[in-house]
Amino acid sequence: MILAPEVLTLLIINGIFLLLATVAFILSVKIFLKWDINSTTKTQYTLEKQSFLAATIIKYIFAIKLPLFLFFVFTLDKISTLLTGAMCAAGVVDATEYGTYLLILKLLNLYLFGFWLTLHYLDMKSPNLPYSKIKFEFFIIAFLFLVAEIVLEGIMFQAIDIDKMVSCCGTLYSSASTSAIGDILNINPTLLLGLFYGNFILMVLFYKLKVKYLFAISNITFIIIALISLISWFGTYIYELPTHHCPFCFLQSDYYYVGYAIYTALFIGTFYGIRSGIMEMIGEERKRSYNISLIFNTLYLLIVTAYPLVYFMRNGVWL
Amino acid sequence: MITLENVSKIYELNKNHNVTTLEQINLHIKEGELVVLKGVSGSGKSTILSLIAALTKPTEGEVVVNEKRISKLPDSFASDYRQQDIGFIFQKYNLIPTLSVKENILLPLVPTNPAEDEAQAKLGKVLEQFQIAHKKDEMVRNLSGGEQQRVAIARAHVNNPKIIIADEPTANLDEKLSLDFIEILKQLKSEGKTIVIATHDPLFFDLEIVDRIVEVKAGKIL
Repeated sequence: MILAPEVLTLLIINGIFLLLATVAFILSVKIFLKWDINSTTKTQYTLEKQSFLAATIIKYIFAIKLPLFLFFVFTLDKISTLLTGAMCAAGVVDATEYGTYLLILKLLNLYLFGFWLTLHYLDMKSPNLPYSKIKFEFFIIAFLFLVAEIVLEGIMFQAIDIDKMVSCCGTLYSSASTSAIGDILNINPTLLLGLFYGNFILMVLFYKLKVKYLFAISNITFIIIALISLISWFGTYIYELPTHHCPFCFLQSDYYYVGYAIYTALFIGTFYGIRSGIMEMIGEERKRSYNISLIFNTLYLLIVTAYPLVYFMRNGVWL
Repeated sequence: MITLENVSKIYELNKNHNVTTLEQINLHIKEGELVVLKGVSGSGKSTILSLIAALTKPTEGEVVVNEKRISKLPDSFASDYRQQDIGFIFQKYNLIPTLSVKENILLPLVPTNPAEDEAQAKLGKVLEQFQIAHKKDEMVRNLSGGEQQRVAIARAHVNNPKIIIADEPTANLDEKLSLDFIEILKQLKSEGKTIVIATHDPLFFDLEIVDRIVEVKAGKIL
């Protein structure tokens, strides 16, 4: 097990999260079972008080989880220097069989907590607390994912063996790789770029036509296509190396930490895009979500497009 | 206007020790009514006022004001309700000693951030109405008890709330100042305000302007 200060920090914070989230979970179950907003009984008043406590706990967990995710990626990057063969966070993620699942779970949890916060925001806007029951039902599910993430994170750091050689990102994200990554990297770039820009144009179209559900769906497809095209094509222009496809290296100082800006823009943009669909589903009209989504998705598109364009203007050729 | 239905308030000091301050009380106050809650210290009068002002929630039962279920309001909405609908006069005035008279009076307007002209107009009106215009720039700590009481009333009134709540308003006043306060009450009642006063001052029990005296004893209405 690696006990670097950053890993210890993550484990301690996870322990605190688990403790607090368990309190919120117990209260959520009570609320789920007994909540009746029209009731004026002692039980209901107690539940209303407890709902504010539970909501405060969940809000603070989310508020810390958001920067903590960036810290987690930073930690992976930092401890990669301790593993033989690893050049960046990719080597640490691949050092155990749990790394990739943990990363996916962490991202999923950020979206889940974000959607919970959306429900909470809508709930607190009305004096009748219309979404209280549903938001705590939602947290009961989110809690299970959170526990899975915390357990998996502990297992992953436990399972890392610093004496074992790991693969570097150059090997992991290579078109010669026999894994699914290899298949992704072998997708025709013209097709991929057509899908990426086509998806974005559709998104703008749905925004203009105010087709809210399709706008949300186009955001879901946009995350997938954007990540694939980033690894497969755009990333190579950030590195200016046609064979380097790592999704982590551009988080390093050598690339001015541009990866943080790229991922932040993509995740905020798509989060708000999906959020707008959820809002529509529960009958809430919020134009702000659409605007934020489009602004950040456009920002993502501009950043990743700028690299190949600048490269072409400077060198007169594509990679 | 104001309805308390089967309201109980129990403070849990610890697992084995509860204090019941109100027990299954029912009370209805009509719009424009001046009601005096009479009772000894600890009888539950102030708790009733706190419930009407949404400063606390009942343990059981419901408080409805103007068809609004205020005992069910989340904190942010309860704050709005207090800011818009309630003027509270405290026994010890609860003025901020480091602020001037006008600054204290303007405090309830801060959350809504009205235009300067509007705020000054409201300030000027209550300063005149409660005869403290000449003291407007004085620090409240330099005022007499009676003057502080007027500032407290002006502050409670500046938002033009529908309901005025007063908790032992004459406890710190001599007889003359208490009579002055009653004159102010007459003014407020003539404006159609609903007024609820908790007191054990006998001065209030024979007043013409009082519509009803409600006796509270050991957490129950007699």
